[in-house]
Amino acid sequence: VTEVVRTTNVERPLVSVVDDDESVRESLPDLLREFGFAVRAFASAEEFLTSDCVGKTRCLILDIAMPGMTGPDLQHELKRRRREIPIVFITAHADESARPGLIEEGAVECLLKPFSDTDLRKALDMALAED
Amino acid sequence: MEASLENPAEQIKRLQRCINDLVSVLALAATWADAEPSQVVGAVTDALLRMLDLDLVFVRLTNPTGDAPIKIIRIGPSQKSTTDARIVSEAIDGWFGDNPQKWPPLVQIPIGGRGVSIAPLQLWLQGEKTLIAVGSQRPDFPSQTERLLFSVAANQVAIGLQKARLLTEQKRIADELDERVAERTGELAAANEELRNEIAERKRAEEELRDTQSKLAHMTRLMTIGQLTASIAHEVNQPLAGIITNANTCLRMLAAQPPNIEGAKETARRTIRDGNRASEVIKRLRALFSKKDPSLEPVDLNEATREVIALSLSKLQGNRVILRTELADGLPNVSGDRVQLQQVILNLIQNGSDAMSSIDDRPRDMLVKTERDGHEALCLTVRDVGVGFSEEDGGRLFDAFYTTKGDGMGIGLSVSRSIVERHGGRMWTAGNEGPGVSFSFSVPLLPEQKTDADTTARAGGPRSMERQSK
Repeated sequence: VTEVVRTTNVERPLVSVVDDDESVRESLPDLLREFGFAVRAFASAEEFLTSDCVGKTRCLILDIAMPGMTGPDLQHELKRRRREIPIVFITAHADESARPGLIEEGAVECLLKPFSDTDLRKALDMALAED
Repeated sequence: MEASLENPAEQIKRLQRCINDLVSVLALAATWADAEPSQVVGAVTDALLRMLDLDLVFVRLTNPTGDAPIKIIRIGPSQKSTTDARIVSEAIDGWFGDNPQKWPPLVQIPIGGRGVSIAPLQLWLQGEKTLIAVGSQRPDFPSQTERLLFSVAANQVAIGLQKARLLTEQKRIADELDERVAERTGELAAANEELRNEIAERKRAEEELRDTQSKLAHMTRLMTIGQLTASIAHEVNQPLAGIITNANTCLRMLAAQPPNIEGAKETARRTIRDGNRASEVIKRLRALFSKKDPSLEPVDLNEATREVIALSLSKLQGNRVILRTELADGLPNVSGDRVQLQQVILNLIQNGSDAMSSIDDRPRDMLVKTERDGHEALCLTVRDVGVGFSEEDGGRLFDAFYTTKGDGMGIGLSVSRSIVERHGGRMWTAGNEGPGVSFSFSVPLLPEQKTDADTTARAGGPRSMERQSK
């Protein structure tokens, strides 16, 4: 199995994580790598937009509430640039009311922190199937 | 002169008759008790006619109330059948008009073909002009004795009439009084009823007000709790997300072939760190809510402010607010209810943040500042660079239900101020030199922490009082 993973290394789809919370930026990439993805983590939406990952990212895991440009702001900006990257929102605000609007705008899923690895996996599968 | 023409026996007899008549006339008054004026006049005319052997008596009584005068005429039995009383009455009435000074002392009126001498008598009754006219066919009429008797009778009538008038007046007054008492009693009863209704209405309004106020206070508490709950959830969910993700990763690393021990160790360490972080949040919340005594306690204003800021931070970041704090060092404790004061601080910070949500042409700077306010109080100020408010708004900001926000309830500031005032403090607002406004409140220090100058003043108090009491 390890051999297979190694040989397919170059092919691994890129998942980008954008979250201002450091513990998420530390923990989530490790789990995503365990899932078999290539991962890049960014502390802000602006940082992601100026990186070279916008075109390569197959799925964006995006925090909603961030200082400066928020998650939904980034969603709009990507739409404006016609970069339709599947987005999985994550939020620590236990508020379900934001979810329908985000899905309407094209988000794949909106996960409430803390979320389980299976829920995350399911959301990623949906995102990549859409891609 | 008249008397000298009679013989002595005749004279004595006449005098006796005169005395009898006098007594009779004087006795008349006794029968007039409780009588009406017209009854008195009727009685006296009858008596004069009978006793003095007159041919006619006419009385004209001017009614003091301004009604038509009462006129009574009595004709003696000798003339009664042949005389028209109405014509005689009119004739006498014509001779003796309204002005007694113009009355002739004696007039002759033909009655039944013979002249009748008629003499007027005037009754002086408090401005009234009452006429009594007596007439007789006798050529010597009226004799001296008759004049005396007439004047006595007239006096008696005057007295009787006065009494009767008085009585009537008393009766009238008593009746009027009764009527007025009844009327007033009715009015009072109505006023009483109205007052009772007003009291009931006011009571009801007061109850309604109290009810509304308690609902309001409850609503504000719920809102604040709701906002706090959201902050708490966010603060706890962040580290929990880390913990669960790390633990999942850790399991996966251990389950791999071969197990990734170094990776698993790293994720386990991060799990512990995030766990500690979550427990820090809980500890802070505990500090925020633990309240041993609802009464006033020493509160470290800076500490209380830091806790509120920690809880509001994510919301402020979400609204792109750049928060700066200037918490003065070495501040003494204030006296207060920690949670309530924190609600006030939270409210001011949220208001400032809301006021800046539409500001995009400048950084959304917020300053939270604590400092001394004189010797006996501390002051906290929250300054924003938001939309501010008009002068008109400024006067009403602290009114309940008054709001300048599109989605506000207009409760926060009014409740905040009432909390501050319950602490013996005050709350005010001021426009900044630049854009935005500053909201401040000050609360008194704990009594023992007031300045030394105050302590000496208090210590001097009892001594000077002792001196005064000696």
